[in-house]
Amino acid sequence: MPLKEIGAFLLVLVAVFLFGNLWFHFVEAILRRIKSRFSRRRKPPAWHPFPSDKEE
Amino acid sequence: MGLFGKLFKGPEIDMEKSRANAEKMRVLFDHVVKDGADYRLIFGYTEDVSRFNYGFVHGSKTKIGNLIVGWNEASQTIVVVPTVPDLSGCGEPTWYRRAEILKAYRNKYPTDAFVIYPDKKGYIAINAYDWLEDERLYVYVSQEQELAAFTDFFMNKFATK
Repeated sequence: MPLKEIGAFLLVLVAVFLFGNLWFHFVEAILRRIKSRFSRRRKPPAWHPFPSDKEE
Repeated sequence: MGLFGKLFKGPEIDMEKSRANAEKMRVLFDHVVKDGADYRLIFGYTEDVSRFNYGFVHGSKTKIGNLIVGWNEASQTIVVVPTVPDLSGCGEPTWYRRAEILKAYRNKYPTDAFVIYPDKKGYIAINAYDWLEDERLYVYVSQEQELAAFTDFFMNKFATK
């Protein structure tokens, strides 16, 4: 019986962990969308790829 | 060396990979910085820690920015070029000339970062270590001697207090 209870408790912990992760990524996605709306007009920073003639 | 000796020796540095990355750092730096060859280089990184509270989920997020840090003793200048761990490219360089900065010092707590305030509005805290194992987050390069030289330059010629 205690084993079952321990198992159930661990299952609840796993469910809380999974829901917490989902919630985190859900809020992050919303915030990212809001931020991208406001920064659409901003020029992305200049980026220089590794010079192709120096590649091994 | 016995089995236990091997087990407890700790991680070994792949010097070939480290040398290749040091060369790539040099190519990138020279590509975006005029007279780049006049600068010595180390790898450094910045850490941006922010807290979040999304209702019942809260914690902190750390963003790591990889940097190629060049320094020139003669002109007392540090140049910082943002890059990525695989060194596939880099951003625009930023110059910090000792004569033009507000202040520079080495932090003590929570990290021994090299801190430069170009003006009152912002600062950059450069963390640097001999070698960092995690290739997904940091440039894989062993730089014991270069870091010692940079630390000496920063503390004795660049720091303002």
